[in-house]
Amino acid sequence: MTHAGLTAMTKIEVVVSGEDVPAVTDLLTASGAAGYTVLSGVSGLGHGGFHQGRLHFNDRDALRLLLTVVPVERADALIDALRAVLAKRPGVLFVSETAVSRPEYFA
Amino acid sequence: MSGLSEEAARLRVDLADAARLIAPVWPIDRFVAVNPLLGLVERPFDEAVAEARRWFGAAGYPGDAPLGRALRDGQVAVGDLTAAVTARLPGLVEGSRRDVRGWRVDAATVVATDLLHGVGAAVPRVDPRCAAERFDAAHGTAVAPAVDGEVGRWCALLTRPGHDGSPGDGPGRAYARWRQVVRHERRARRLAGPGLTLAVEEAPEAPDEAVLHALERLGVHPTERVDELRGQLARLPGWAGWAKWCDDWAGPEDVVPRISLMDLVAIRLTYEAEVLAHARTGRAGAGLAPTVHSMPRVSGAAGGVTPRDRARAVLAALALDEPGEEIFGWAERLVTSPTSAERGSTVLAALEAGHQARLLRLLDRPPAPVGSPVAQVVFCIDVRSEGMRRHLEEAGPYDTLGFAGFFATPIRFRPVGSVESYPSAPVLIEPDVEIPERGAPGSEAATAQRVERRQARTTAERTVASLSHAPVSMFGIAEAGGWVLGPRALVRTLRPRARGERHPSTVVVVGRPDVPGVGLTGFELEERVLVAETALRTMGLTGGFAPLVVFCGHGSTTTANPHAAALDCGACGGNRGAPNARVAAAICNDPLVRDELRARGIDIPDGSWFVAAEHDTATDSVTVLDRGTVPATHGALVDQLAADLVRAGSANARDRLRRLPGARRSRSAERQVRARSGDWAEPRPEWGLARNAAFLVGSRDLTRGLDLDGRVFLHSYDTDADLDGTALETILTAPMVVAQWINAQYYFSTVDPDVFGAGDKTLHNPINGIGVLVGVGGDLRAGLPSQSVEDGEGPVHEPVRLLTLVEAPRDRIDGVIARNPILRHLFDGAWVRLVARDAPDTAWCTRLPDGAWVPILNRQANSEGAAS
Repeated sequence: MTHAGLTAMTKIEVVVSGEDVPAVTDLLTASGAAGYTVLSGVSGLGHGGFHQGRLHFNDRDALRLLLTVVPVERADALIDALRAVLAKRPGVLFVSETAVSRPEYFA
Repeated sequence: MSGLSEEAARLRVDLADAARLIAPVWPIDRFVAVNPLLGLVERPFDEAVAEARRWFGAAGYPGDAPLGRALRDGQVAVGDLTAAVTARLPGLVEGSRRDVRGWRVDAATVVATDLLHGVGAAVPRVDPRCAAERFDAAHGTAVAPAVDGEVGRWCALLTRPGHDGSPGDGPGRAYARWRQVVRHERRARRLAGPGLTLAVEEAPEAPDEAVLHALERLGVHPTERVDELRGQLARLPGWAGWAKWCDDWAGPEDVVPRISLMDLVAIRLTYEAEVLAHARTGRAGAGLAPTVHSMPRVSGAAGGVTPRDRARAVLAALALDEPGEEIFGWAERLVTSPTSAERGSTVLAALEAGHQARLLRLLDRPPAPVGSPVAQVVFCIDVRSEGMRRHLEEAGPYDTLGFAGFFATPIRFRPVGSVESYPSAPVLIEPDVEIPERGAPGSEAATAQRVERRQARTTAERTVASLSHAPVSMFGIAEAGGWVLGPRALVRTLRPRARGERHPSTVVVVGRPDVPGVGLTGFELEERVLVAETALRTMGLTGGFAPLVVFCGHGSTTTANPHAAALDCGACGGNRGAPNARVAAAICNDPLVRDELRARGIDIPDGSWFVAAEHDTATDSVTVLDRGTVPATHGALVDQLAADLVRAGSANARDRLRRLPGARRSRSAERQVRARSGDWAEPRPEWGLARNAAFLVGSRDLTRGLDLDGRVFLHSYDTDADLDGTALETILTAPMVVAQWINAQYYFSTVDPDVFGAGDKTLHNPINGIGVLVGVGGDLRAGLPSQSVEDGEGPVHEPVRLLTLVEAPRDRIDGVIARNPILRHLFDGAWVRLVARDAPDTAWCTRLPDGAWVPILNRQANSEGAAS
């Protein structure tokens, strides 16, 4: 993916249960990710059946999507660690190439 | 990976995995009942209990004693027990029987009799769980408990006020402070040897690198790392639970002394590696003498009793004297074959079958509808509401409903005069709306004066409390301040009573001001409408509004009780429920909200007024709040309701006193409960949620007029108004989950008070606003004090898993379960038993772990319950 004036980065998206969010954010923070986004109320059909996304009074047992963008050279180690999490916990991981206009925000 | 090596990243994953064994421990001033095996709930109950036995040496099932008590009290029938034996041990007892002098004796009867009259089975010892335990097992030393003592002491020191981890105090700070100080401490060197200073200096600065370094010193292979970490955490589950709360649950606004799990294991492993290195030199001091065995204790061991003794006891109980050698051998095999886990699960099944059968018999009657009530009073689902609801309905034309006591208002509440707010909502959600309390219009000055006086008094009391809890100053404060505090103490000792307090006249500011820059206080209109609609639809109150609708929260007034918050409202995160009730009432009286609700099909008539109230479960008094805002048209109704609540409270106090130790028939019930509430020497001011056993989702018609003995969480539900199952989904995924946490907390604190309970209240030593120690050191004690579950003679709490009863179409229930993994875990894993019926004229059915529904018919009620 090349765009004039943009910098290539790696986008990592993880969907996990609310209770596993601290383990993932701990890894993102410790790995030096400059930031991340957490989306609650994630619902849909997956390997483990249907997951209700929006529970009125229970954030912990609903799914969340975490999204971060990191420099390409840092991505592999973080991906390995996240795969280790998902080897034992339910969830999915998406990795894709992306490009950003202000790379210093993600360094 | 910048700032984190690949190995350190793997370690973090392993630690998170290991820490699933540990349940979080909330700060004690907002105590939250938690399932101690919360992290294992994805596994079936029996497997989780086996894990608890492996890692904590814990008993996860009731012993035989509660069974005997339940049989004596009529809570369990002999038929329940033999049915449970048949269901749990089919391979052992099915078809096995003997004829003894014309009497036919079933194997199930023999095993059941052994459970009642036997001496219990030996429990296998727990294998060593960590490096220190392996060393101790090999050398007869006591390294592991010595390290426990030191690490526990350091946890207490590192979390002292003044050394606390405020939000800016990130992970790793506790380890860094320990590393800085311990190398100079003589006491630490006495245990770990003179090499400690150098070892700590050589230990990496980062806690994760320190853990890896220590694991390498201990010879732990990466493939064994998760189990080693589990073993380390299992040695101090209380402090580990606090660290887990800090890591996973504490928010940036929580100003509490923090320590992270990584800090904790870094300190512990660095210590352990050096102590073991020192011990291997053979020069270890007396600190490692095996005064306390390092392995967890095991319970229920039948020391010195032979299988023959047990068979003889059983046969004698069955009046089968001298039955012959073949019968003796048969009985011996029967009583010794079940493992301790099989015995325990059979006892549990019998207790549950007995309870379920009794409850279903009670519910087996025509619906009892109500006429036209003058008031609808919504209480919290808490089991303590049930008696008050029953007595209030007896006192007048009232209808009562049950709903989670935060009334759908997840808030951070900022009391008048305070700059800090606290979360008042179930811990499963994170409230982000702050509701401030202010002086009522026209009384702002008087309110400010009262607040100042209250703050001055609170500051003085906190100062005295902190000094009197410090090891050294406690003696000084007694000497210096005794002449001032002594007379007050004498009066409170001789004439204990709940202290009344004139509260300032205030209002809660519910709506968000439509002014830029005011801040994120209050709910916007759409949020207010959502709160009201969710609350009313979920409890099934969408029409037929009475002139008065009351949201009645609850709290408990007790004295000198570190676990006071355990008696407050769980749905409010271990706080009193008045703020949420006030907010909910204000929202439902908002004309703009009512207009929107009307457009959505909920028409609250102009003649209906919502009022907030608070039920004090220690004194059985109910206070109607914000009386000044009640319109004149409703004043007389509120006065009549208040008078009837007094009558209901008196009746409820008489009921409760029948179970409270030390109650006297000759004294007024109201005075006695108030005296207990204010008595700082009373370890059982009330029973809290002891004996909780069931969670019922349905119309009040199902239970109106029934005495449910304060054992049932009652959640209102109108099946006809919830065709898509949204309300049922909300009820099962939130209030029921909280009820399950409470039920599991009481269950495990009862079946193994040493491991899962907080120990004897009279020995509690409150520490740093976090929790309690028993005595001066050791692990932080999570769970409930022994006085919360037993009366001095035995358990008062009957340990059974939550029984959820739902009156709704079963295909709707199945749909809700199918789309919510937490419900699949709870029901399929047998953490919660589920019974349902489609309508009042259909049979109750039990849901088996494979999802099949089986009708419950007469005695079958027992065997099905036993099988679950």
